[in-house]
Amino acid sequence: MDWNLLFSSYSNVFLDPQVLLMTLLGAVGGVLLGAIPGMTATMGVALLIPFSFGMDLIPSIGLLLGIYCGGMYGGSISAILIHAPGTPSAAATLLDGYPMAQKGEAGRALSVAMFSSFCGGVIGALIMTFLSPLVAKVAMKFTSAEMLMLAVFGLSVIISISGKSISKGLISAFFGMLLCTIGLDPTYSKQRFTFGVTSLKGGLSFIPVLIGLFAIAEVIAGVERIIAGHESAYAKSNEKITRVLPDGKTIGQIWPNIFSGGIIGTFIGAIPGAGGDIAVFVSYAFNKGVSKHPEKWGTGIPNGVAATESANNGCSGGAMIPLLSLGVPGDSVTAILLGAFIMKGIQPGPMMYVSELPTVYKVFAALMLANLAMLLVGCAGVRIFAKIVSLEKRMLYPIILVVSLLGAFAINKNVYDVGVCVFFGVIGWLMNKYEFPLSPILLALILGPMCEQNFVRFMDLNQGNFGAILNYPIAVGFFVVAVGVVIFSIFNQKKIERREKANKAAAAE
Amino acid sequence: MVSLEVKKTQSKAFANLIASLALIVFEIWAWLQTNNIKTAKNAAVQPSTFPRIMIIGMAVFTVVLLIQSLIKLGSMKTDDPLAEKAETLNFIKDKGVLAALFVVLLCCVYVYFFKSLGYVIVSFLLSGIIMWLIGLRKPVPLILISALVPLLMWLVFYKMLKVNIPMGPLQFLRELVDKI
Repeated sequence: MDWNLLFSSYSNVFLDPQVLLMTLLGAVGGVLLGAIPGMTATMGVALLIPFSFGMDLIPSIGLLLGIYCGGMYGGSISAILIHAPGTPSAAATLLDGYPMAQKGEAGRALSVAMFSSFCGGVIGALIMTFLSPLVAKVAMKFTSAEMLMLAVFGLSVIISISGKSISKGLISAFFGMLLCTIGLDPTYSKQRFTFGVTSLKGGLSFIPVLIGLFAIAEVIAGVERIIAGHESAYAKSNEKITRVLPDGKTIGQIWPNIFSGGIIGTFIGAIPGAGGDIAVFVSYAFNKGVSKHPEKWGTGIPNGVAATESANNGCSGGAMIPLLSLGVPGDSVTAILLGAFIMKGIQPGPMMYVSELPTVYKVFAALMLANLAMLLVGCAGVRIFAKIVSLEKRMLYPIILVVSLLGAFAINKNVYDVGVCVFFGVIGWLMNKYEFPLSPILLALILGPMCEQNFVRFMDLNQGNFGAILNYPIAVGFFVVAVGVVIFSIFNQKKIERREKANKAAAAE
Repeated sequence: MVSLEVKKTQSKAFANLIASLALIVFEIWAWLQTNNIKTAKNAAVQPSTFPRIMIIGMAVFTVVLLIQSLIKLGSMKTDDPLAEKAETLNFIKDKGVLAALFVVLLCCVYVYFFKSLGYVIVSFLLSGIIMWLIGLRKPVPLILISALVPLLMWLVFYKMLKVNIPMGPLQFLRELVDKI
């Protein structure tokens, strides 16, 4: 590694006022966009890419990376405050973030999310700087067999996010996987469960389902609670935010989660086709599994927020690895970034490390800067964002409803998606009522298409012989780890049940 | 609340039993629907295979839930979490459920009129009615919040994010904003 060139590239980027301004603007836009349910970082980058046409490469990449990193963090804001993940990658943040807000710790949850996002992003950027050719080499060995088993591995964490009943969690997961099969099948384009409805041919859009299951269901349940007298219509958070960054004690408590989340996020982000949405659940399950107090996870602890948010932003660095070293985008945002590079006359790929090494280092620096900009914007915004929950519930619920329904519409500009959103709002409300966990559906919706496509591709390539999977050592490795995770999660669940019982007995005495 | 008075038919275990029976009906229906999926020639995996695997998986764990519920109902202890009273869907006895169903109905009407009346008008009506329902009865804040939030959201989406949202009779606002 050329250290002199690396340092000069970093200083060039960090001392260029145009790059600083563009990255900061991007982070502001990204955080605001990400916080709106339905608006993803991908949409933000796609919307703002025309503004970067007239700029030089590094300021434009800074702008786009600012949106990317800001959007990743922004998604957690609405997940924590209103139970509506702004982006799919923030879906796991609400597992502990929303209960924290319910306990009157919205500001603390936001600051933990912001700090963890920043650290995760820095871990991702550092790994990208030093290990990108190596990581890309491993990631690019992935064929349909490895991708199938990666999806199976991702699904193995379902037990960890199933809550009190494993069987209910698995029913939810299979239901989610079944929902993925609605529409034209991805290989032969045969209609499945479309019932002659044209709109169903394209399947269910992920974002409206996500908004419905979480935000709309929460509004319906909230109205029910208020009318039944279980919740006050005047309820609001009176939390006073005295600091925008987590205190030393909290950081001491969450740093292992941040560190492991950042690494998990970077490596999963580096696999083309796998992104933050998978990484956050894997990180959550891993950190819960190794925690001394797994029974506290899901009740509103900062560790849960830290584990997911660091993985989420770690992905931004991970996804850049195959983009720069192989010219293969790791996710949809980096696919758009690839277009930006090509527009500027630079072709990412192995040759970029030979002919455009200063540019590569400047991109590394821009990503680091984007994470810093996200931290600045986050710090400035924590108090403002937290004000949302200081609204009385009788105002907050209707506002969440109309904002969320608009988010569902905006994704495809289609009223059908608003209907899908309402339908899944009802499903989510019913499932919550009867204690069927919602997160496994979400994970299944993310991994279902990946699982099916790679399963069909693998079986076609191997003439229907599933046993051929044994010829793929990485795939077998993933499968073994998945089985291990399932067994470990079952034992962990039993441990949680025992602890909860003991805690209840102690409380009764 | 753990209570001795909770009847078995009102317990969470009984709710699980009913839920698993309903799920079995759903799974049978879904399986029958897979018969309508056309087959593909020379395919190692048919388009109906994956959904069927998922239905089987769902059915296996539904049966597990059914058996667990039956066992619990047979030997229910008062301190068992599943002996607690389950949530109800009885909208005649429970005003909360009635209100929730009313919100669902409003949302369905919202979707139906979304295109013809436009986002701002339907959102104004939807949020206004719900605010009134859950206790905001002062007309000024009710009207202001119900009108300003959708208007602001429309402005953000239209001007900043370039997303065209149906406006119905308020189409003129678009031209007005364009002129400004």
